[in-house]
Amino acid sequence: MDLYVRKLPEMVDEIRSIRETIITNILLIGQTPAPTFKEKRRTTVFMDRLAEFQVDECTTDSYRNPIGIIRGKNPDNPPIFVSAHLDTFFTRDMVYNYTVAEKTITGPGIMDNSVGVGVLISLPLIFQRLNLTFESDIVLAGTIQSIGRANLRGVRHLLKTWKKPIRAAVCIEGGELGRLNYFSDGMIRAEVECHTSRKSGSLHKHLPNAILVLNEVINEILKIRMPQRPRSKIVIGTIDGGVNHGAIACDATLGLEIRSHQDRIVKELHHDIKDIIEGIRHEHRVDLTLNTISNLNANRLPYNHPLVKCSADVLKSLGIEPVSEPTESALSIFLSHKVPAVTIGLTNGYNYYEEDATMEIEPMFKGIAQIIGIITAIDNGVCDA
Amino acid sequence: MRNTWLTENTFHYSDFQDLARLVDEKQRKKIKISLCLPTLNEEKTIAKEILIMKSELMTRYHLLDEIVVIDSGSTDNTRAIARTYGADVYEANNILPNLEAFKGKGENLWKALHITEGDILVYLDADIKNIHHRFAYGLIGPLLLNDNIRYTKAFYDRPIAIRKNKIRPTGGGRVTELVVRPLFSLFFPDLTQLIQPLSGEYAGYREVFEQIPFPIGYGVETSMIMDIYAKWGLDVIAQVDLDRRIHRNQDTKALGKMAFVILKTFINRKSQLGLIDLKEKMFGDIIQYNLVKNTYKAEKTRLEGHERPPIIDIPEYRKKFYGT
Repeated sequence: MDLYVRKLPEMVDEIRSIRETIITNILLIGQTPAPTFKEKRRTTVFMDRLAEFQVDECTTDSYRNPIGIIRGKNPDNPPIFVSAHLDTFFTRDMVYNYTVAEKTITGPGIMDNSVGVGVLISLPLIFQRLNLTFESDIVLAGTIQSIGRANLRGVRHLLKTWKKPIRAAVCIEGGELGRLNYFSDGMIRAEVECHTSRKSGSLHKHLPNAILVLNEVINEILKIRMPQRPRSKIVIGTIDGGVNHGAIACDATLGLEIRSHQDRIVKELHHDIKDIIEGIRHEHRVDLTLNTISNLNANRLPYNHPLVKCSADVLKSLGIEPVSEPTESALSIFLSHKVPAVTIGLTNGYNYYEEDATMEIEPMFKGIAQIIGIITAIDNGVCDA
Repeated sequence: MRNTWLTENTFHYSDFQDLARLVDEKQRKKIKISLCLPTLNEEKTIAKEILIMKSELMTRYHLLDEIVVIDSGSTDNTRAIARTYGADVYEANNILPNLEAFKGKGENLWKALHITEGDILVYLDADIKNIHHRFAYGLIGPLLLNDNIRYTKAFYDRPIAIRKNKIRPTGGGRVTELVVRPLFSLFFPDLTQLIQPLSGEYAGYREVFEQIPFPIGYGVETSMIMDIYAKWGLDVIAQVDLDRRIHRNQDTKALGKMAFVILKTFINRKSQLGLIDLKEKMFGDIIQYNLVKNTYKAEKTRLEGHERPPIIDIPEYRKKFYGT
């Protein structure tokens, strides 16, 4: 095992010694609202903090992704990216009020992804504390417009316009500690919208019921034969419609996601669902549409890729058991640009998407040590062979 | 009324964002600065106030010399959490234990003068939900950079946190607008220029705080302003826009109690200053009414309005700070 990996457990105490500043960064980021498409205020905090920490370059790209660059010793080496998405699921007109207890921090968006961004902007100080310098430039990227309909636009634009090559990337997510993603499924996220006619004079009781139409869509989707290999699935995730108990629903919406290890299967399943929609629209004479919200291509590093192996070693050296599942994060975009990348989780938590989302403080210090270990491995050339 | 004060002595916290300059000025003046957080059951907010102040104004910039929590006997985890994150924690009753014990914010602020070492004291409420270090450096800035300013007071855009974590964009300051500002308009028009005279965040030099009395309850902010104004004039006071403070909304009854104490403090102070002649003693209870089973029932609450004398008159204090 490399020397730096053996040293990682010792680093955890050093990282913990600046917990006030790390938690402060998490609070300053997390208490600044950043709903998707409205991340400007959080972007400003991100940039201000990096400037305060005297990061060599603080800027935004042409899409307004905030970026800090810590200059490396060897300008010939390609940069290493560390990224975390800035946006949250929560609206702007609520109090992003965090509560710090002895062992936890609670507040909306803390696990997805305020802790990730807070740690990202703490890295310059952590590097200083650990006396770490790197051969490559370290690019700290807070990516905007990631979630839902935004469809990872921020990171897509960043990588489309950034001069290649990029040595490798580490994507940071709040949870869970032990998460080690190195592949992403192909995915299409879509909404089926049904609107029935509201022409004046039409008898209310004869109107088709939008919810029942969607029910028929669901029944037809459930009849689709799914392949065993490659692993694929259709998730019926959300349903919304109607006005009150006694009125026939004129509008209803169904949210679904198609996932597979292979893009071809995703496209085939999407095509099948499209056919179902067209058939039901024709037969019921309703306004029924299938709208794509977001999509991702399947991408992966092989398990025996040096970055994956070394990341697993880093986690194990810290006593963390790696768990690998597909992810729909920025990882897929890095991999699609042929940039070796992994996604890791920082700490443990619960109620991720509730207003009382909670993170545990103590495991985070190991979570940060993972990042240090993986960046050091990349800087030492683990991906260069 | 002097209208120039509002423009000359009103600042924005961003005027003092250069923390290195503040630290240089502090070192040049060879002074210490203490932050005091008075608490009573503030376990939800106390940690982040300590963490942010410690990180930004003690570790990264040595602007504060100590963070002191003075607690009124919290029954939640306030004291334990404050200790966990490195504040010096005291129970108010254990400070100057020979004196009769009172319970109230003003009591904590007054006793903080005895416990802290700073030449400048910064008082922040411990329930600020959107705490940021600007709350402290914004108040310290004018004191360090302007020799004639001895006391600074915060004002804000004040959204109120209401149920379901939603923000109402305007509101707050009802007691200010319905009680304090009319009183100031009637008797001290100069003081109407203070945008939020009841804000719970202020800072000043020890030599100012030690020479004025401290009401133990709600009246402390009003009396402090009146006393400083009467003793040193308006020019030693400055106000600082700290941008936004999210605070708890209080019901009308609670505000009624606050208004009662403020009115009592105000009238007492006017009387003590010889500005009015009070013919009768004021009553000590606020009487509010509740509808219980179709009957109005009076609810009396005793609000004594005790007041601590200038702490410089306390022998233990004089011995500690002046050796006399």
